[in-house]
Amino acid sequence: MDITNLTYLFYGYSAAWIIITAFVFLLVSRGRRIDGELARLKSLVADKERR
Amino acid sequence: MKRGLITALAIAKKDLQTELRTKESINASASFALVILVLFSFAFDLGREELYAISGGMLWLVFSFAGALIVNRSFARELPNDCLDVLIASPAPAWAIFLGKSVAAFLLLFIVELISLPVFGLFYNIHWTDRFGGLLLVMALATWGITVVGTAFSAVTVNIRLRELMLPVLLYPILIPLLIGAMGTTTALLGGEPMFGQAASGEALASLRLLVGFDVIYTSLALYMIEFILIV
Amino acid sequence: MREKAIYILAILAALVMIPNLKTVFMGLPDEAMQGAIYRIIFIHVPAAINAQIFFTVSLVTSILFLVKKNFLWDSISVSCIEVGTMLVLVNLVTGSIWGRNQWGIWWAWDLRMTSQLMCFLLYLGYLLVRPAIAEPTQRASISAFVAIFAYADIPLVLMAIRLPNVRTQHPGPVLETGTMAPEFRAPFGLGVLAVFLICTALILIRQHQETAQREIDSLRRELHSI
Repeated sequence: MDITNLTYLFYGYSAAWIIITAFVFLLVSRGRRIDGELARLKSLVADKERR
Repeated sequence: MKRGLITALAIAKKDLQTELRTKESINASASFALVILVLFSFAFDLGREELYAISGGMLWLVFSFAGALIVNRSFARELPNDCLDVLIASPAPAWAIFLGKSVAAFLLLFIVELISLPVFGLFYNIHWTDRFGGLLLVMALATWGITVVGTAFSAVTVNIRLRELMLPVLLYPILIPLLIGAMGTTTALLGGEPMFGQAASGEALASLRLLVGFDVIYTSLALYMIEFILIV
Repeated sequence: MREKAIYILAILAALVMIPNLKTVFMGLPDEAMQGAIYRIIFIHVPAAINAQIFFTVSLVTSILFLVKKNFLWDSISVSCIEVGTMLVLVNLVTGSIWGRNQWGIWWAWDLRMTSQLMCFLLYLGYLLVRPAIAEPTQRASISAFVAIFAYADIPLVLMAIRLPNVRTQHPGPVLETGTMAPEFRAPFGLGVLAVFLICTALILIRQHQETAQREIDSLRRELHSI
Protein backbone atom coordinates (compact mmCIF):
# COMPACT_ATOMS: atom_id res chain seq x y z
CA MET A 1 0.00 0.00 0.00
CA ASP A 2 1.25 3.43 -0.94
CA ILE A 3 2.04 5.50 2.14
CA THR A 4 1.41 8.97 0.61
CA ASN A 5 -1.95 7.65 -0.35
CA LEU A 6 -2.71 6.82 3.28
CA THR A 7 -1.38 10.19 4.40
CA TYR A 8 -3.76 12.03 2.10
CA LEU A 9 -6.60 9.76 3.14
CA PHE A 10 -5.87 10.79 6.71
CA TYR A 11 -5.75 14.47 5.70
CA GLY A 12 -9.06 14.13 3.90
CA TYR A 13 -10.93 12.57 6.78
CA SER A 14 -9.39 14.91 9.35
CA ALA A 15 -10.28 17.95 7.26
CA ALA A 16 -13.88 16.76 6.98
CA TRP A 17 -14.18 16.17 10.70
CA ILE A 18 -12.42 19.40 11.59
CA ILE A 19 -14.93 21.35 9.51
CA ILE A 20 -17.87 19.54 11.07
CA THR A 21 -16.47 19.96 14.59
CA ALA A 22 -15.79 23.65 14.00
CA PHE A 23 -19.37 24.06 12.84
CA VAL A 24 -20.71 22.27 15.92
CA PHE A 25 -18.47 24.42 18.10
CA LEU A 26 -19.82 27.59 16.50
CA LEU A 27 -23.34 26.27 16.92
CA VAL A 28 -22.81 25.54 20.63
CA SER A 29 -21.18 28.88 21.37
CA ARG A 30 -23.97 30.72 19.58
CA GLY A 31 -26.51 28.64 21.50
CA ARG A 32 -24.88 29.64 24.81
CA ARG A 33 -24.93 33.30 23.86
CA ILE A 34 -28.57 33.13 22.81
CA ASP A 35 -29.61 31.30 25.98
CA GLY A 36 -27.79 33.81 28.16
CA GLU A 37 -29.31 36.76 26.31
CA LEU A 38 -32.78 35.25 26.53
CA ALA A 39 -32.51 34.68 30.28
CA ARG A 40 -31.20 38.21 30.82
CA LEU A 41 -33.99 39.78 28.78
CA LYS A 42 -36.66 37.68 30.49
CA SER A 43 -35.50 38.77 33.95
CA LEU A 44 -35.35 42.38 32.75
CA VAL A 45 -38.91 42.22 31.47
CA ALA A 46 -40.10 40.56 34.69
CA ASP A 47 -38.32 43.29 36.71
CA LYS A 48 -39.91 46.11 34.79
CA GLU A 49 -43.36 44.58 35.02
CA ARG A 50 -43.09 44.17 38.80
CA ARG A 51 -42.43 47.86 39.17
CA MET B 1 -51.90 43.71 -17.58
CA LYS B 2 -52.02 46.43 -20.22
CA ARG B 3 -52.25 49.15 -17.62
CA GLY B 4 -49.29 47.59 -15.84
CA LEU B 5 -47.25 47.76 -19.02
CA ILE B 6 -48.14 51.42 -19.49
CA THR B 7 -47.08 52.09 -15.88
CA ALA B 8 -43.84 50.22 -16.49
CA LEU B 9 -43.15 52.38 -19.53
CA ALA B 10 -43.90 55.53 -17.57
CA ILE B 11 -41.51 54.48 -14.81
CA ALA B 12 -38.80 53.59 -17.31
CA LYS B 13 -39.27 56.97 -18.95
CA LYS B 14 -39.11 58.76 -15.61
CA ASP B 15 -35.92 56.93 -14.64
CA LEU B 16 -34.26 57.66 -17.96
CA GLN B 17 -35.27 61.29 -17.81
CA THR B 18 -33.84 61.81 -14.32
CA GLU B 19 -30.73 60.00 -15.43
CA LEU B 20 -30.35 62.09 -18.57
CA ARG B 21 -30.73 65.26 -16.53
CA THR B 22 -28.31 64.38 -13.75
CA LYS B 23 -26.20 61.79 -15.63
CA GLU B 24 -25.02 60.59 -12.24
CA SER B 25 -24.85 56.82 -12.73
CA ILE B 26 -24.17 56.73 -16.46
CA ASN B 27 -21.16 59.05 -16.15
CA ALA B 28 -19.76 57.09 -13.24
CA SER B 29 -20.39 53.79 -14.93
CA ALA B 30 -18.95 54.74 -18.32
CA SER B 31 -15.82 56.33 -16.88
CA PHE B 32 -15.36 53.33 -14.58
CA ALA B 33 -15.59 51.00 -17.59
CA LEU B 34 -12.98 53.05 -19.42
CA VAL B 35 -10.62 53.02 -16.46
CA ILE B 36 -10.86 49.24 -16.20
CA LEU B 37 -10.25 48.88 -19.93
CA VAL B 38 -7.10 50.96 -19.57
CA LEU B 39 -6.02 49.00 -16.51
CA PHE B 40 -6.31 45.72 -18.38
CA SER B 41 -3.63 46.85 -20.78
CA PHE B 42 -1.23 47.12 -17.84
CA ALA B 43 -2.42 43.88 -16.27
CA PHE B 44 -1.72 41.75 -19.34
CA ASP B 45 1.04 41.98 -21.88
CA LEU B 46 -0.32 39.86 -24.67
CA GLY B 47 0.21 38.94 -28.29
CA ARG B 48 -2.60 39.17 -30.83
CA GLU B 49 -3.76 35.57 -30.56
CA GLU B 50 -3.89 35.64 -26.78
CA LEU B 51 -5.63 38.97 -26.83
CA TYR B 52 -8.43 37.56 -28.99
CA ALA B 53 -8.65 34.52 -26.74
CA ILE B 54 -9.42 36.61 -23.66
CA SER B 55 -11.28 39.48 -25.34
CA GLY B 56 -14.76 38.18 -24.46
CA GLY B 57 -13.78 37.66 -20.85
CA MET B 58 -12.36 41.18 -20.57
CA LEU B 59 -15.37 42.82 -22.14
CA TRP B 60 -17.86 41.06 -19.93
CA LEU B 61 -15.92 41.74 -16.75
CA VAL B 62 -16.02 45.42 -17.63
CA PHE B 63 -19.72 45.28 -18.52
CA SER B 64 -20.70 43.45 -15.37
CA PHE B 65 -18.77 45.89 -13.15
CA ALA B 66 -20.40 48.80 -14.95
CA GLY B 67 -23.77 47.06 -14.59
CA ALA B 68 -23.43 46.72 -10.83
CA LEU B 69 -22.88 50.48 -10.58
CA ILE B 70 -26.00 51.20 -12.61
CA VAL B 71 -28.39 48.80 -10.89
CA ASN B 72 -27.11 49.91 -7.51
CA ARG B 73 -28.70 53.30 -8.14
CA SER B 74 -31.86 51.82 -9.59
CA PHE B 75 -33.87 51.69 -6.38
CA ALA B 76 -31.52 53.72 -4.22
CA ARG B 77 -32.43 56.71 -6.41
CA GLU B 78 -35.92 56.63 -4.87
CA LEU B 79 -34.72 56.81 -1.26
CA PRO B 80 -34.39 60.61 -0.81
CA ASN B 81 -37.71 62.29 0.03
CA ASP B 82 -39.27 58.84 0.60
CA CYS B 83 -40.06 58.47 -3.08
CA LEU B 84 -39.83 54.69 -2.75
CA ASP B 85 -42.66 54.59 -0.20
CA VAL B 86 -44.80 56.69 -2.51
CA LEU B 87 -44.06 54.38 -5.44
CA ILE B 88 -44.99 51.32 -3.39
CA ALA B 89 -48.12 52.95 -2.02
CA SER B 90 -49.24 54.03 -5.49
CA PRO B 91 -51.76 51.82 -7.34
CA ALA B 92 -48.99 50.67 -9.70
CA PRO B 93 -48.42 46.93 -9.31
CA ALA B 94 -45.02 45.93 -7.94
CA TRP B 95 -44.06 44.02 -11.07
CA ALA B 96 -44.70 47.09 -13.23
CA ILE B 97 -42.42 49.24 -11.08
CA PHE B 98 -39.80 46.53 -11.27
CA LEU B 99 -40.16 46.07 -15.03
CA GLY B 100 -39.91 49.79 -15.67
CA LYS B 101 -36.77 50.07 -13.59
CA SER B 102 -35.22 47.03 -15.28
CA VAL B 103 -35.89 48.49 -18.73
CA ALA B 104 -34.33 51.81 -17.72
CA ALA B 105 -31.26 50.08 -16.26
CA PHE B 106 -31.03 47.91 -19.37
CA LEU B 107 -30.96 50.90 -21.69
CA LEU B 108 -28.41 52.73 -19.55
CA LEU B 109 -26.08 49.74 -19.38
CA PHE B 110 -26.53 49.17 -23.10
CA ILE B 111 -25.43 52.74 -23.78
CA VAL B 112 -22.36 52.25 -21.60
CA GLU B 113 -21.56 49.05 -23.49
CA LEU B 114 -21.96 50.74 -26.85
CA ILE B 115 -19.51 53.40 -25.67
CA SER B 116 -16.96 50.93 -24.32
CA LEU B 117 -17.03 48.50 -27.23
CA PRO B 118 -15.44 50.85 -29.82
CA VAL B 119 -12.97 52.06 -27.20
CA PHE B 120 -12.05 48.47 -26.51
CA GLY B 121 -11.60 47.76 -30.21
CA LEU B 122 -9.51 50.89 -30.59
CA PHE B 123 -7.24 50.32 -27.59
CA TYR B 124 -6.60 46.68 -28.29
CA ASN B 125 -6.79 46.77 -32.06
CA ILE B 126 -9.59 44.23 -32.21
CA HIS B 127 -11.99 44.04 -35.17
CA TRP B 128 -15.46 44.00 -33.75
CA THR B 129 -17.35 45.52 -36.69
CA ASP B 130 -17.46 42.31 -38.78
CA ARG B 131 -19.72 40.50 -36.34
CA PHE B 132 -21.53 43.51 -34.98
CA GLY B 133 -24.99 41.97 -35.46
CA GLY B 134 -24.13 38.87 -33.47
CA LEU B 135 -22.43 40.96 -30.82
CA LEU B 136 -25.52 43.13 -30.48
CA LEU B 137 -27.66 40.05 -29.95
CA VAL B 138 -25.37 38.64 -27.28
CA MET B 139 -25.06 42.04 -25.62
CA ALA B 140 -28.82 42.50 -25.57
CA LEU B 141 -29.49 39.07 -24.06
CA ALA B 142 -26.71 39.15 -21.48
CA THR B 143 -27.33 42.78 -20.54
CA TRP B 144 -30.97 42.02 -19.92
CA GLY B 145 -29.90 39.13 -17.68
CA ILE B 146 -27.53 41.37 -15.72
CA THR B 147 -30.05 44.16 -15.30
CA VAL B 148 -33.06 42.01 -14.44
CA VAL B 149 -31.20 40.13 -11.68
CA GLY B 150 -29.39 43.31 -10.68
CA THR B 151 -32.57 45.35 -10.38
CA ALA B 152 -34.21 42.57 -8.38
CA PHE B 153 -31.31 42.56 -5.94
CA SER B 154 -31.29 46.33 -5.95
CA ALA B 155 -34.88 46.16 -4.69
CA VAL B 156 -33.86 43.55 -2.14
CA THR B 157 -30.92 45.50 -0.77
CA VAL B 158 -32.36 49.01 -0.95
CA ASN B 159 -33.52 49.08 2.65
CA ILE B 160 -30.70 47.22 4.29
CA ARG B 161 -27.54 48.38 5.92
CA LEU B 162 -24.36 47.94 3.84
CA ARG B 163 -26.41 48.16 0.65
CA GLU B 164 -23.47 48.88 -1.65
CA LEU B 165 -21.51 45.96 -0.22
CA MET B 166 -24.28 43.40 -0.28
CA LEU B 167 -25.37 43.92 -3.88
CA PRO B 168 -22.18 42.55 -5.50
CA VAL B 169 -21.95 39.72 -2.97
CA LEU B 170 -25.39 38.56 -4.05
CA LEU B 171 -25.26 39.54 -7.71
CA TYR B 172 -22.02 38.12 -9.08
CA PRO B 173 -22.41 34.47 -8.01
CA ILE B 174 -25.84 34.38 -9.63
CA LEU B 175 -24.47 35.94 -12.81
CA ILE B 176 -21.66 33.37 -13.23
CA PRO B 177 -23.47 31.08 -15.70
CA LEU B 178 -24.68 34.06 -17.72
CA LEU B 179 -21.19 35.54 -17.86
CA ILE B 180 -19.65 32.18 -18.83
CA GLY B 181 -22.06 32.00 -21.75
CA ALA B 182 -21.61 35.62 -22.81
CA MET B 183 -17.82 35.49 -22.55
CA GLY B 184 -17.59 32.32 -24.65
CA THR B 185 -19.84 33.60 -27.40
CA THR B 186 -18.21 37.02 -27.51
CA THR B 187 -14.74 35.50 -27.80
CA ALA B 188 -15.94 33.27 -30.64
CA LEU B 189 -17.57 36.21 -32.43
CA LEU B 190 -14.57 38.50 -32.06
CA GLY B 191 -12.41 35.68 -33.38
CA GLY B 192 -14.42 35.94 -36.58
CA GLU B 193 -16.68 32.96 -36.08
CA PRO B 194 -20.24 33.45 -37.35
CA MET B 195 -23.06 32.68 -34.94
CA PHE B 196 -25.38 30.85 -37.33
CA GLY B 197 -25.03 28.87 -40.51
CA GLN B 198 -22.63 26.25 -41.77
CA ALA B 199 -19.41 27.74 -40.44
CA ALA B 200 -20.72 28.11 -36.88
CA SER B 201 -19.19 25.67 -34.42
CA GLY B 202 -22.35 25.23 -32.39
CA GLU B 203 -20.55 26.67 -29.40
CA ALA B 204 -22.09 30.07 -29.94
CA LEU B 205 -25.54 28.55 -30.32
CA ALA B 206 -25.18 26.53 -27.11
CA SER B 207 -24.18 29.67 -25.23
CA LEU B 208 -27.06 31.55 -26.81
CA ARG B 209 -29.48 28.92 -25.53
CA LEU B 210 -28.02 29.35 -22.06
CA LEU B 211 -28.44 33.13 -22.24
CA VAL B 212 -32.05 32.83 -23.36
CA GLY B 213 -32.73 30.26 -20.63
CA PHE B 214 -31.19 32.51 -17.99
CA ASP B 215 -33.22 35.51 -19.14
CA VAL B 216 -36.50 33.61 -19.25
CA ILE B 217 -36.03 31.96 -15.85
CA TYR B 218 -34.95 35.06 -13.97
CA THR B 219 -37.34 37.49 -15.68
CA SER B 220 -40.32 35.33 -14.80
CA LEU B 221 -39.06 34.57 -11.28
CA ALA B 222 -38.35 38.22 -10.56
CA LEU B 223 -41.63 39.52 -12.01
CA TYR B 224 -43.55 36.97 -10.01
CA MET B 225 -41.68 37.33 -6.73
CA ILE B 226 -40.96 41.05 -6.59
CA GLU B 227 -44.32 41.58 -4.91
CA PHE B 228 -43.12 39.79 -1.79
CA ILE B 229 -40.10 42.06 -1.55
CA LEU B 230 -41.47 45.50 -2.38
CA ILE B 231 -44.42 45.32 -0.02
CA VAL B 232 -42.42 45.08 3.20
CA MET C 1 -39.36 16.56 22.67
CA ARG C 2 -36.91 18.40 20.48
CA GLU C 3 -33.98 17.52 22.71
CA LYS C 4 -35.03 13.88 22.69
CA ALA C 5 -35.19 13.91 18.91
CA ILE C 6 -31.71 15.42 18.71
CA TYR C 7 -30.27 12.81 21.07
CA ILE C 8 -31.98 9.96 19.21
CA LEU C 9 -30.66 11.25 15.88
CA ALA C 10 -27.14 11.55 17.27
CA ILE C 11 -27.23 8.02 18.72
CA LEU C 12 -28.64 6.61 15.48
CA ALA C 13 -25.94 8.43 13.50
CA ALA C 14 -23.25 6.94 15.73
CA LEU C 15 -24.79 3.47 15.40
CA VAL C 16 -24.76 3.78 11.61
CA MET C 17 -21.43 5.50 11.27
CA ILE C 18 -19.07 3.62 13.56
CA PRO C 19 -19.63 0.11 12.11
CA ASN C 20 -19.65 1.69 8.66
CA LEU C 21 -16.29 3.36 9.20
CA LYS C 22 -14.98 -0.03 10.34
CA THR C 23 -16.18 -1.63 7.10
CA VAL C 24 -14.74 1.20 5.01
CA PHE C 25 -11.32 1.18 6.61
CA MET C 26 -10.83 -2.46 7.57
CA GLY C 27 -13.28 -4.47 5.46
CA LEU C 28 -13.06 -3.09 1.95
CA PRO C 29 -10.12 -3.87 -0.32
CA ASP C 30 -8.04 -1.07 -1.87
CA GLU C 31 -9.28 0.19 -5.19
CA ALA C 32 -7.30 -1.08 -8.17
CA MET C 33 -6.27 2.28 -9.62
CA GLN C 34 -6.17 4.60 -6.62
CA GLY C 35 -5.09 2.49 -3.68
CA ALA C 36 -6.29 3.59 -0.25
CA ILE C 37 -7.25 7.18 -1.09
CA TYR C 38 -10.53 6.22 -2.76
CA ARG C 39 -12.03 5.80 0.73
CA ILE C 40 -12.47 9.56 0.79
CA ILE C 41 -15.49 9.00 -1.44
CA PHE C 42 -17.43 7.73 1.59
CA ILE C 43 -17.42 11.20 3.13
CA HIS C 44 -16.91 13.30 -0.01
CA VAL C 45 -19.97 12.25 -2.01
CA PRO C 46 -22.40 11.86 0.94
CA ALA C 47 -21.60 15.47 1.87
CA ALA C 48 -22.46 16.64 -1.65
CA ILE C 49 -25.65 14.56 -1.84
CA ASN C 50 -26.87 15.77 1.54
CA ALA C 51 -26.04 19.37 0.66
CA GLN C 52 -28.28 19.07 -2.40
CA ILE C 53 -31.03 17.53 -0.27
CA PHE C 54 -30.89 20.37 2.26
CA PHE C 55 -30.78 23.05 -0.43
CA THR C 56 -33.87 21.51 -1.97
CA VAL C 57 -35.60 21.52 1.42
CA SER C 58 -34.65 25.18 1.82
CA LEU C 59 -36.20 25.97 -1.56
CA VAL C 60 -39.49 24.39 -0.50
CA THR C 61 -39.52 26.07 2.92
CA SER C 62 -38.61 29.43 1.38
CA ILE C 63 -41.59 29.22 -0.96
CA LEU C 64 -43.76 28.13 1.97
CA PHE C 65 -42.62 31.14 3.98
CA LEU C 66 -43.49 33.57 1.20
CA VAL C 67 -46.92 31.99 0.86
CA LYS C 68 -47.79 31.36 4.53
CA LYS C 69 -45.66 34.00 6.31
CA ASN C 70 -44.97 31.51 9.09
CA PHE C 71 -41.55 32.03 10.66
CA LEU C 72 -41.15 28.31 11.26
CA TRP C 73 -40.43 27.91 7.54
CA ASP C 74 -37.90 30.72 7.57
CA SER C 75 -36.01 29.16 10.47
CA ILE C 76 -35.90 25.81 8.68
CA SER C 77 -34.58 27.42 5.48
CA VAL C 78 -31.76 29.24 7.18
CA SER C 79 -30.75 26.15 9.17
CA CYS C 80 -30.76 23.96 6.07
CA ILE C 81 -28.72 26.48 4.09
CA GLU C 82 -26.17 26.91 6.86
CA VAL C 83 -25.66 23.17 7.26
CA GLY C 84 -25.75 22.65 3.48
CA THR C 85 -23.07 25.28 2.92
CA MET C 86 -20.93 23.61 5.57
CA LEU C 87 -21.37 20.30 3.73
CA VAL C 88 -20.38 21.86 0.40
CA LEU C 89 -17.24 23.10 2.12
CA VAL C 90 -16.53 19.56 3.37
CA ASN C 91 -17.09 18.31 -0.16
CA LEU C 92 -14.76 20.90 -1.69
CA VAL C 93 -11.98 20.39 0.83
CA THR C 94 -12.01 16.59 0.70
CA GLY C 95 -12.21 16.72 -3.09
CA SER C 96 -9.27 19.09 -3.21
CA ILE C 97 -7.19 16.79 -1.01
CA TRP C 98 -8.09 13.83 -3.21
CA GLY C 99 -7.11 15.86 -6.28
CA ARG C 100 -3.75 16.77 -4.76
CA ASN C 101 -3.07 13.08 -4.32
CA GLN C 102 -4.44 11.79 -7.60
CA TRP C 103 -3.92 14.64 -10.03
CA GLY C 104 -1.02 16.34 -8.27
CA ILE C 105 -2.85 19.66 -8.02
CA TRP C 106 -5.09 21.13 -5.35
CA TRP C 107 -7.58 22.60 -7.73
CA ALA C 108 -8.66 21.78 -11.28
CA TRP C 109 -11.46 23.63 -12.99
CA ASP C 110 -13.42 20.52 -13.71
CA LEU C 111 -17.17 20.37 -14.00
CA ARG C 112 -18.11 19.22 -10.55
CA MET C 113 -15.58 21.32 -8.68
CA THR C 114 -16.63 24.45 -10.49
CA SER C 115 -20.33 23.86 -9.94
CA GLN C 116 -19.82 23.08 -6.26
CA LEU C 117 -17.71 26.18 -5.80
CA MET C 118 -20.43 28.32 -7.40
CA CYS C 119 -23.01 26.68 -5.17
CA PHE C 120 -20.87 27.57 -2.18
CA LEU C 121 -20.55 31.19 -3.29
CA LEU C 122 -24.28 31.51 -3.96
CA TYR C 123 -25.30 30.34 -0.52
CA LEU C 124 -22.45 32.23 1.13
CA GLY C 125 -24.12 35.35 -0.25
CA TYR C 126 -27.35 34.29 1.45
CA LEU C 127 -25.60 33.76 4.78
CA LEU C 128 -23.83 37.12 4.50
CA VAL C 129 -26.86 39.20 3.59
CA ARG C 130 -29.13 37.76 6.27
CA PRO C 131 -27.52 39.33 9.35
CA ALA C 132 -27.44 42.70 7.58
CA ILE C 133 -31.24 42.99 7.73
CA ALA C 134 -32.63 44.20 11.03
CA GLU C 135 -36.39 43.91 10.67
CA PRO C 136 -37.52 40.24 11.13
CA THR C 137 -40.27 40.05 8.50
CA GLN C 138 -38.12 41.83 5.97
CA ARG C 139 -35.18 39.60 6.81
CA ALA C 140 -37.23 36.46 6.33
CA SER C 141 -38.83 37.47 3.03
CA ILE C 142 -35.59 38.78 1.54
CA SER C 143 -33.80 35.60 2.61
CA ALA C 144 -36.51 33.48 1.01
CA PHE C 145 -36.22 35.53 -2.17
CA VAL C 146 -32.44 35.09 -2.28
CA ALA C 147 -32.72 31.36 -1.53
CA ILE C 148 -35.11 30.83 -4.45
CA PHE C 149 -32.89 32.87 -6.79
CA ALA C 150 -29.84 30.90 -5.70
CA TYR C 151 -31.55 27.55 -6.21
CA ALA C 152 -32.73 28.53 -9.70
CA ASP C 153 -29.10 29.14 -10.59
CA ILE C 154 -27.99 25.55 -9.99
CA PRO C 155 -29.37 24.06 -13.25
CA LEU C 156 -28.00 27.05 -15.17
CA VAL C 157 -24.58 26.53 -13.65
CA LEU C 158 -24.71 22.87 -14.64
CA MET C 159 -25.64 23.95 -18.17
CA ALA C 160 -22.92 26.61 -18.34
CA ILE C 161 -20.06 24.35 -17.30
CA ARG C 162 -20.97 21.90 -20.05
CA LEU C 163 -20.46 24.53 -22.75
CA PRO C 164 -17.76 23.42 -25.18
CA ASN C 165 -15.48 26.38 -24.50
CA VAL C 166 -15.17 25.62 -20.78
CA ARG C 167 -12.02 23.64 -20.12
CA THR C 168 -12.46 20.61 -17.89
CA GLN C 169 -10.61 17.61 -16.63
CA HIS C 170 -13.26 15.36 -18.17
CA PRO C 171 -14.15 13.10 -15.27
CA GLY C 172 -16.61 11.43 -17.63
CA PRO C 173 -17.27 8.23 -15.70
CA VAL C 174 -17.80 10.16 -12.48
CA LEU C 175 -20.47 12.33 -14.09
CA GLU C 176 -22.35 10.08 -16.45
CA THR C 177 -21.41 6.47 -17.05
CA GLY C 178 -19.72 5.25 -13.90
CA THR C 179 -21.04 2.47 -11.71
CA MET C 180 -19.86 1.39 -8.33
CA ALA C 181 -18.65 -2.08 -7.46
CA PRO C 182 -21.42 -3.90 -5.56
CA GLU C 183 -19.48 -4.32 -2.33
CA PHE C 184 -19.02 -0.53 -2.12
CA ARG C 185 -22.69 0.26 -2.44
CA ALA C 186 -23.87 -0.62 1.05
CA PRO C 187 -21.16 1.35 2.92
CA PHE C 188 -21.72 4.24 0.53
CA GLY C 189 -25.45 4.29 1.21
CA LEU C 190 -24.84 4.05 4.95
CA GLY C 191 -22.38 6.94 4.66
CA VAL C 192 -25.11 9.08 3.07
CA LEU C 193 -27.50 8.04 5.84
CA ALA C 194 -24.99 8.83 8.60
CA VAL C 195 -24.26 12.32 7.28
CA PHE C 196 -28.00 12.89 6.86
CA LEU C 197 -28.72 11.94 10.48
CA ILE C 198 -25.91 14.08 11.91
CA CYS C 199 -26.92 17.06 9.83
CA THR C 200 -30.61 16.73 10.64
CA ALA C 201 -29.65 16.91 14.32
CA LEU C 202 -27.56 20.00 13.61
CA ILE C 203 -30.43 21.56 11.67
CA LEU C 204 -32.80 20.97 14.59
CA ILE C 205 -30.36 22.67 16.97
CA ARG C 206 -29.85 25.59 14.59
CA GLN C 207 -33.56 25.95 13.96
CA HIS C 208 -34.21 26.12 17.70
CA GLN C 209 -31.61 28.88 18.00
CA GLU C 210 -33.28 30.84 15.23
CA THR C 211 -36.60 30.66 17.08
CA ALA C 212 -34.92 31.74 20.32
CA GLN C 213 -33.29 34.63 18.48
CA ARG C 214 -36.69 35.83 17.30
CA GLU C 215 -37.96 35.61 20.85
CA ILE C 216 -35.01 37.78 21.93
CA ASP C 217 -35.86 40.32 19.25
CA SER C 218 -39.48 40.55 20.38
CA LEU C 219 -38.48 40.80 24.05
CA ARG C 220 -36.15 43.66 23.16
CA ARG C 221 -38.98 45.48 21.45
CA GLU C 222 -41.23 44.85 24.44
CA LEU C 223 -38.58 46.30 26.75
CA HIS C 224 -38.42 49.41 24.63
CA SER C 225 -42.17 49.86 24.73
CA ILE C 226 -42.52 49.43 28.49
